[in-house]
Amino acid sequence: MSNAEQILAALGGADNIIEIEPCITRLRAEVEDPGLVDEPGLKAAGAHGVIRSGSAIQVVVGPEADTIASDIEDLM
Amino acid sequence: MTALTVVAPVAGRAMPMTEVPDPVFSAALVGPGVAIDPSREGRVTAISPVAGKIVKLHPHAYVVQTADGAGVLVHLGIDTVQLAGEGFELVVAEGAEVTAGADVVVWDPAAVEAGGRSPICPVVALDAAAEALSDARDTGDLAAGDPLFAWAR
Repeated sequence: MSNAEQILAALGGADNIIEIEPCITRLRAEVEDPGLVDEPGLKAAGAHGVIRSGSAIQVVVGPEADTIASDIEDLM
Repeated sequence: MTALTVVAPVAGRAMPMTEVPDPVFSAALVGPGVAIDPSREGRVTAISPVAGKIVKLHPHAYVVQTADGAGVLVHLGIDTVQLAGEGFELVVAEGAEVTAGADVVVWDPAAVEAGGRSPICPVVALDAAAEALSDARDTGDLAAGDPLFAWAR
């Protein structure tokens, strides 16, 4: 699996994602069910860190965030 | 070993990264660095902190990569991605080669603050080890272009 596929899966899959957008160093995702977010899975996919605030999940991926976000959107 | 001098992209008061009101920057999740609380003096020009290529350019943030691959991120304010470019004017194009001190983005820190966001600017040595940074100036007033920290390469 690519990083984008792994991250998408660890966020609970396309059905769990309401919105995802890149900031320069991170993906900002709004999810349906934060309980489905697999933090170790995100880190295994290369995330430097995960910041959770309710249904808002920030996945810190570094400056490739734009590319990863567009790859994820292609998969959704 | 050589050291890359990273200069202040904006004028203002230098502060330790740990004081930045954002968990990603304060925990140095994308790398160590120094932050600057910018002067509120109307529209100002943020400059390139190093010589290199503008590899990422958003209205509110940019990454300049040196010829040997060191990437320096400048983030203009916190949560400013939410402004969707409003109030930010890009002076260069992504992919451009720039000198240290070259104009990159014109913006208004006071307007960002008036909109309820922090205008603090983290300057990050992407993926660097904390010990690779030295001579960090993280207190006191700086002019744009003043040395901010040295990055051992």
